[in-house]
Amino acid sequence: MLQLTINTLALGAAYALVAMGFVLILNATNAVNFAHGALVMLGSYIAFTIGSLLPVVGLLLLPLLLIAAAIVGLLLYFIAYLPLKDKPVTSVFISTISAGVIFENAVLLIYGPEPRITPPVIGTSAFKIGDTVISEQSLAVIAAAAVLIVGQQLLFTRTRLGKQLRAAAQDPDIAAACGMNVGLMVALTFAIAAALAAAAGMFLSATYYASPTDGANYTMKAYIAVTIGGWGSIPGAVIGALLVALFEVVIPSLPALFPALMQAVPHAADLFTMTASTIALFIAFLIVLLFRPQGLFGETIKRRA
Amino acid sequence: MRASLASISLLAALCGAANAQTVKLPIIVPITGPIALEGTSQRNGALLAIAHGAQSLKVEGEVLDTAGAPEGGANALERSAGNKSVVAAVAPMFGTQVLPMIPLANEYKVPLITTAGTGAITEKGSRYVYRFFPSDIVTKLAQAKYVTEVMGKKRAAILYNATAYGQSGHQHLTDYLKAQGAEVVYADAIELSTKDMTPVLAKAKAANPDIILLQMHTASMALLLKQLAQANLGIPVVANTMLTMPSTAGLLEPSELKGICAETSAWIGKGVSPELDKFVDDYGAKFGGVPDFFALQQYDGVMMVLKAVNSGATTADAVQKYLADNEYKGVAMSYRSDGKGNMAHSAAIVCFDGTTRSPKLVKRYDAIASAK
Repeated sequence: MLQLTINTLALGAAYALVAMGFVLILNATNAVNFAHGALVMLGSYIAFTIGSLLPVVGLLLLPLLLIAAAIVGLLLYFIAYLPLKDKPVTSVFISTISAGVIFENAVLLIYGPEPRITPPVIGTSAFKIGDTVISEQSLAVIAAAAVLIVGQQLLFTRTRLGKQLRAAAQDPDIAAACGMNVGLMVALTFAIAAALAAAAGMFLSATYYASPTDGANYTMKAYIAVTIGGWGSIPGAVIGALLVALFEVVIPSLPALFPALMQAVPHAADLFTMTASTIALFIAFLIVLLFRPQGLFGETIKRRA
Repeated sequence: MRASLASISLLAALCGAANAQTVKLPIIVPITGPIALEGTSQRNGALLAIAHGAQSLKVEGEVLDTAGAPEGGANALERSAGNKSVVAAVAPMFGTQVLPMIPLANEYKVPLITTAGTGAITEKGSRYVYRFFPSDIVTKLAQAKYVTEVMGKKRAAILYNATAYGQSGHQHLTDYLKAQGAEVVYADAIELSTKDMTPVLAKAKAANPDIILLQMHTASMALLLKQLAQANLGIPVVANTMLTMPSTAGLLEPSELKGICAETSAWIGKGVSPELDKFVDDYGAKFGGVPDFFALQQYDGVMMVLKAVNSGATTADAVQKYLADNEYKGVAMSYRSDGKGNMAHSAAIVCFDGTTRSPKLVKRYDAIASAK
């Protein structure tokens, strides 16, 4: 149980970074960034590249990675969003989908299809508590992601810049009327979101490898996390991400945790397979859409992007 | 006079050019998407075969990417097979993509040359599928015989990917293990996109198997084995052939491979034969890196097609008849159809000793399923 808890938290923490970045761009532009998963994948490969040049642990690479990813985020803003910001929002969907495809194929062209592994955050050792194996990497991911989540929250709630970012997202017209440079705020939001995505990419690919085709999967997970947790809500995105990790790790493990369940429930083995747990996650997603479309923690909305 | 000589020379040149026969051999493989690694190996093997085997032929080996979608192969075949110069087509190693291609191959009467292991592709009654790779019928039998007869195991856990290949392997392994007197105590399908294998490993451990059998694709298998090594369950593993790909083993530390065995079709090593040495050297020079069995056996398949064409089989129909009726001594093994298009009938078991990423051959199963 301890191992499952730690694995769920580590996976959920990385997904939370992905979901937070997704929400930041959503709030700033009222549009879904379908390239967000590709930013996670790109972050993995940037981390892999920097790690190949500087053979140090991931924690020491992180500042360089965040800066490089922020630059990619700015590029995405200038190419995929800014020219279309006054067009119908579907134009932004299409442009971000295109950007995601471009990123994926560019990585495939440069690195080839072989999976890559990034440096661990601190190390790869593991220690045992009874039968439970605790990996250093899992604990480091939880800690590092927590620092980034708290840092992002402090930036947005305790700094002038953060308040401007929030103001520009909540009401760009009023923010502009107050003299804020809304365009700059949106650009910075893209940069921060890309940096968070890249950090998640490095954490995930140190344990799970990185492949050029990973992007679509991460975009889907972010979408589900944000929908379940609360459309537009950053705390909701974090909770939603943890729930996604719960469905991936804990739900399919229930037969091993509660063997009596296997005997008491007919076909329990079939109900808790990996495939069945994926189905269960999407059923939960549909239930939230049907009965609480604003998500568990989101405010009631009139229109969803 | 001078003008007449010029005309005669021009006509002679044109006739000479027309005599160099052109055949088309589309290479329809995934070079993007989740199976890009394996598809790239197939492509490389096919292109190397064209470079080696064309002789006086002009062979157009257009590469068509099937990506990851099940219909990718069928779409590509539809675009290319209508041309009368097409004598055969290389088909993906991904059974999920080959299955929709079969009706089109039947319609256009174009033989498909593939290294897909999925059993079902030669069980559809088609005369146009030729598999240059031992099918699951062969490899899973070798895997099951090894764990029961050599290792003496009786309680198996089977972990497989939720693809046609994974499901085919799972089904055959289950049947063969039962026939060998063993029991399958746990089985689970794992999505290709699954990252955390903890649930699967927890349930496998709870079922108390004495052996874990795998039927998985590259990255998914590497993830599972890495996490299995961390979990330190102490249960031996016999994997499927994907583990013997250098790209898969390269994702793991030698210590994470210690004691793990795998079934495979072809043993690739220097010093086995001059032909294999040449293949390995030329592959490295042309594409970089070390070839795997997908490249090698795709190479053999395309070489057999080119031998057929060089022998006078200049249409798809004639090539199909040649493939159905002839034996071919390839670099990896000898190939002969069993009447259903299964050309390869041998398998091997290799094991990693934990010091390197190159396994050692421990057992061969030759002609484990008889040829026609």
